[in-house]
Formats: sequence, structure tokens, C-alpha cells
Amino acid sequence: MKYAGLILANLGRNKLRSLLTGGAIMLAVLLVVLLLTMPAGLDAFLDQIANNTRISVHNKAGIVYSMPFSFTRKVRQIDGVAAACATVWFGGAFEEEGRVTFPSFAIEAEHAAAVWPDYNIDPKQMADFLRYRDGAIVGRQNMQKYKWKIGDRVTLKSTIYGVNLDFRIVGEMPNDRSPLFWMQRTYLDEAVKAKRGTGLSMAGVIWVRVDDPNRVNAVMRQVDEMSRNSEAETASETEKSFFGNFFGSLQGFVTIILIVTGLVSLCIVFIAANTASMAVRERSGEIAVLKAIGFQRKTIFATLLAEAMLVASVAGLSGVVLAIAVTKMLRAFAGWNPSLGPLGAFIVTPTVIAQGVCLSLVVGLFAGLVPAFGAARKPVIEALREIF
Amino acid sequence: MLPLSYSIRNVRARPARTAMTASVIALVVVACSLFLGLISSLKHTLISTGDPLNLIIMRKGSDNDGSSILQKEAFEAIRYFDGIARDTADNPLVSPELVVQPFFRTRDGGRENVLVRGVEAVALAVHSNVHITAGRMINPSSSEAIVGKGVLGRYEGGELGSDLKFGRGTWKVVGIFDADGSSFESEVWVDVRELANDAKRTMPYSGIRMRAASAAQIEPLKQRIEADPKYALQAQSEVEYYSKQSESANSLYVLVIGIAILAGIGAGFGAANTMYAAVQARTAEIGTLRALGFSRLAILTSFQIEAIGLALVGFVMGAVATVGLAALLRLWLGGLAFGAATFTTNVVTLRVGPRDLISSFILSIAIGLVAGLGPAWRAARMRPVEALRKA
Repeated sequence: MKYAGLILANLGRNKLRSLLTGGAIMLAVLLVVLLLTMPAGLDAFLDQIANNTRISVHNKAGIVYSMPFSFTRKVRQIDGVAAACATVWFGGAFEEEGRVTFPSFAIEAEHAAAVWPDYNIDPKQMADFLRYRDGAIVGRQNMQKYKWKIGDRVTLKSTIYGVNLDFRIVGEMPNDRSPLFWMQRTYLDEAVKAKRGTGLSMAGVIWVRVDDPNRVNAVMRQVDEMSRNSEAETASETEKSFFGNFFGSLQGFVTIILIVTGLVSLCIVFIAANTASMAVRERSGEIAVLKAIGFQRKTIFATLLAEAMLVASVAGLSGVVLAIAVTKMLRAFAGWNPSLGPLGAFIVTPTVIAQGVCLSLVVGLFAGLVPAFGAARKPVIEALREIF
Repeated sequence: MLPLSYSIRNVRARPARTAMTASVIALVVVACSLFLGLISSLKHTLISTGDPLNLIIMRKGSDNDGSSILQKEAFEAIRYFDGIARDTADNPLVSPELVVQPFFRTRDGGRENVLVRGVEAVALAVHSNVHITAGRMINPSSSEAIVGKGVLGRYEGGELGSDLKFGRGTWKVVGIFDADGSSFESEVWVDVRELANDAKRTMPYSGIRMRAASAAQIEPLKQRIEADPKYALQAQSEVEYYSKQSESANSLYVLVIGIAILAGIGAGFGAANTMYAAVQARTAEIGTLRALGFSRLAILTSFQIEAIGLALVGFVMGAVATVGLAALLRLWLGGLAFGAATFTTNVVTLRVGPRDLISSFILSIAIGLVAGLGPAWRAARMRPVEALRKA
């Protein structure tokens, strides 16, 4: 600690250089943290929805291959099934946007509370959802993005069924990252019947909640056995596996993000190392004098290393803090981007913060190590000879 | 003016530091070009899918041909409209198609939604950029499939001659096609009737593609199709349709510009450090030059050129590294998979094109300009007497 004064004085000697180096490291750490929030957002999303007792039942051939709606009733009779809810993709789009910007589903309203208790929807709002045939429950991310309030009316056009439906928003899913939009299956059924003469006879995905985590596998097996050799054989999987597969196609993008993150990290090492070597070279005479008057090698080594580490860690920490502020802004802007999916969530998780801090410490260490080692080892005579 | 060789010699005078600073700029160039290349490859894949002469006909209100449903009668009704191109046997180039997105098992055990297109033989004439490169076209009603180049080797059973399992059936792969890098290459084509049976669709088609006889025929054709009161159809040019699909990639550009600005400023700071050190080390030299009569402007320009030279070295290193890295990534990862807006997988080949490199070039010049400004200004302002006294 008694050398703190020396270290600070050295840093203050060329303030501009210290500031530029610090600024460069800060920006690079900011960038690394921002990039890392993207895959972290995907992981966080998968963890958040990974309710270990909820499973998805869908046609083995694909989600667009539907199942008979009546299969839902059979699933409910299976031992261990606490609740089941059939969902149908509505593909709702705003007239003005002309394309699907958030996922909308027609669901069996009376079973929703039992299948998704973890969504924490206000029971009063759930009761309203059941009461109004045109009721809709909307994820908070959508509520914020479109500035909706409970009681608002919205019109969505179905890209699947070609019907325009008016909704009354009666409740919200209190989760900042939920882009969902739920409507009553019966409401869509009536509209489709009016248009085509026949109503909805199928289900896209049946979500099932099992009463005991230990029975999940048994229930999945039983559901799939029940549908074997029928027109629509099913494949059941856990919720986490379902969404993991669903977003598997983002892996290519994640790879590129990680490569770029690595490149930027390498940049920081170069910038910091360059500065450290400049500082040591300029001061080689001074260092020789310090040694000549009795400072030990390890002391000199330690002070030089501490100097590099101090700059890197202070800059790195400010980068992390800045990243938290920037992600707040990004979230307000971006919303749900269909091509980014949960990669665009921009949440700074504790892991990402730890990674950012570790990176700056490692950078300081690497960048300071070589020049400090060189300076500490350089024979006094040689260094002094260079000056005089 | 100071000769250019003075600046060049100075850049070369301290190879270690030049290399270090240039590497920082090079890394920024690699990061930005790679990202830009990725987005432009994605856009290219989608946009090049559209043929300027082709129209896509869907049910009104559908935003992609995966969500549209059409009756057989609709196809019959518009098939013989005027203005549609004809083949040598005088058959209209109208291709009824069904799009389904079943699960495919990937080789590494994952699962992806792949776009399977049910077609008739006429499809090859309508989609002029699709060419069979190996094997042959499917025969109707024989459970055969042809696969795009991007599908090849990505999924279990996705090779010529092997059995591909999707939907409810098993399909024999009899041909492979390429489509000039467009998203057709991520598709699997089978017989339209068989696909409708497999997917248990009562209405056999999801959309119709047709080829106009000439560009002038497109508008009248569109109007005639949309005027039909019975089937409520919408006609759109393929180019328009696929550019709309690629719109979601545009917001990615904002992301890359943000990254480029942040990384660019960071690298600029690093370069400025190097230049300040260079100015400081050459105080005596600058004093001498001033004493010899070189103007402030000459000194300023010379240092500015030096900074830009440094950035150029960085750019060249970065550009070479990017091209190499992109080639390596293509070898290592093959195509990069993207979930398109329609929830099907698009296999994109990563290519860093000249335009991406030009953007990075502009970025590195900007870094050099901004990083050189402060140090060059400091050098130009030096008073000759004081500078010489320091020496």
C-alpha cells in the first residue's frame, strides 16, 4: 500500500495517455459485455421458461402438422396430468405493420391458469379473460411496446385464418420479457365457423402440466403411446427442450457473436500492452535509478504491474456499468425482433458482469506482465548507460 | 510539403509499436467486416430468391406462403390469363405450390423446421434460378424428393440416393439443386399432391407462382388476379415479397453500426496514444524541421498522413484476415443456420463481399483521421525554439 502514491503519480504523469488507454479499454469492455448479453439472453430465456413440470405435446412431424383437438381430452385423463391446454397459432398482425411481430395464440382459457401458474396472472384478470369472449391477455413487453393499457381495444388480422378480430385487453402477464398474446379459442372458433362453415377441429401444441416432476417422463411416454398408429402421432418433450430446439437455428448467429467478442477482447490486450510498454520504456532511466538506490526487483515488478492492472480494472468496471445503462436503452428501442428472438433481450446477467470484470483483470495482468518483467530484469548498468 | 516517404519511413521506424497499433485496427476491421458480411449474406440469400418476372399469388391477408391456403379452382381460374409466359409446348408457366414446414433431424442431433415445397414439373421453368446439378427431377407419385445445396449433408438422410424422413413418410432423394445462393437452396422439393396427402391438407395449394411474359405484363396481371371476386387473391412480385421477408435483417445493421462506432472509437484511442508517443519522441526533429522552414501545415499534414498510413496497414491486415477467417468458418461450420421470420431454417453461406470491406475501409480511415488529429495538432503547434531546447 505504501507504493500507492508512486503508482498514482506514474499514472498522472501522462494524464492524456492514461485517459485514452482507460477510455479504449472501457469501450471495448462495454462492447464485449453488450455482445455477451445476446447469448446470455437466450440462456436466461430458456432458464426462465424451464418449468420442469410442463411439457409440450405436438405432432411428431412438426408444429405445422396439427393434432385433433379431441386428443386434448384424452391427454387430460392420463394419470399424473394436472392440466392440459390446447393452443393454436393465430399469426396475428397489425394492419399497418402487415407482418407478424409477436406470437399470438388462441388457447383454452379455462385451463390456462392451471397450466401456467408460474405466469402469475392476476386471478381477477383471469376471471375477466373467461368472462369476455373477446378478452385477451398480453405479455408486458407488448403492453409497453405498443403503450397498451388494460381495457384497451385492439384489432389483429390473422395471417393464418384471414379473419380480423377485435380484442379487449383484460389482463397482462407480469413479465417484462413476455411478448405473448392470448385469446379465447372459442372466439376464434366462432369467427372461423362464420367464414368457412366449419370451426377449428385441431390443436397446434397441447401444453401439459404434470403434477410431479418425477412423473414427467412417464407422462410423456404415455401420451406418445396413446397416439401411436393414429393419424397424428405425437412427440412430447419438456418445455426447455421445445424452446431449445425452437431457437436452435440462432446458433449460427451466436457463433459469430462469440468470435467477434473474442476479437474485441484481443484488441483490449493489445491496446493495454502497448501503453504499458510505452510507459516502461520512457521510464527505464528512472527504474534504473530506483534499483540503484536499493529498490528490489519484485517491488519494481509489482508497482509496474499494479499500474497496468489499476487502469484496466477501473476502465473495465466503468465499461460494465456503462453496459448496464446502455442495455436499458437498447431494450426500450429494440423490443421483440423476430430475427433476433431472445438474443435481442439485452439483459445483463450476473454471469455477464463477472465475465466483463474478469476480462479487464486478465487484460491488465497480461498487458502489464511482459513489460514489467522486462523492466525489472534489465541490469541497472545497462539502463543507466542509456541515459548518461 | 514534407515528402510522403518521411511519413512512410516513420511508420516503419518503430515496427513493434506500429504492428501493435495496426493490429488493434485490424481486429476492429475483422470484427466489423465479419458482422457486415453475415448480414449482407443473409440479405442476399433472401433477396436473390425473387425473380423480377415472377409473381407470387396468395390468399388475401397472408404474409408468407406458409400461412396461405388456396383452392384448386383458384389455380384453374387464373392459369390461362393473358400475359403469362408459355413454354415451348405452349403451356403457361404457372406453378401451383404447397409449403409445409416439417421437422428435420440435423446430423448433430438437433431439430429444425425446413421448408418443404410441393411442386409440379413446371416449377423448374418458373423458378429460373433453380438448376439441378446432380441426379434428376422428381417423378410424380413416387415419394421422391430433390434437395437444395444448403440442405445437403445438414440433415440425416439428406444425400443423393438416401432416404429422407419427414412428415409422415419417407422420401428418396433423387436430385440436388442449386439456386444462385438464394433461399431455395435451403428447401426440399417433392410432388405437390403427395405432400398435400402427407400433411392431410384438404386444400392442396398454399400459393401459386407464375412467370409473366414480360415486365410490362406484371401490373395488368396483378390487377386482373386481384380483381377476381370469388377467390380473394393477392398478387405480389417475388422481388417485393422477398425484400419484405428480408426487412427484419435491417435492424441488425443498426446493431453492427453501433458495434463499429464503439470499437472504432476504442481503436482510435489506442492509435492516438501511439501517435502522441511518436510526436513526443520526435520533438527535436519537429523543431529542426520548423527551423528549416517547413510550415505548421506541412507538419500537421505529415503526422496526419502517418496516422492514416497506420490505419491503412491495419485495414490491409484486417481485410486479409477477414477473408481467411470467412473461408475457415465456411469450412468449419458449413452454412450458418438462421431462423427466418417464417420459422423455417435458412442456411446462409458466409461471404464477406467488396461492399463489406469498403465499409470497413471507410471505418479504418476514419479511425486514422480522428486518432491523428490531436497528435498532429500538438506537433504543428510546437514552438521551434522550445522544441530544439528540449533536445
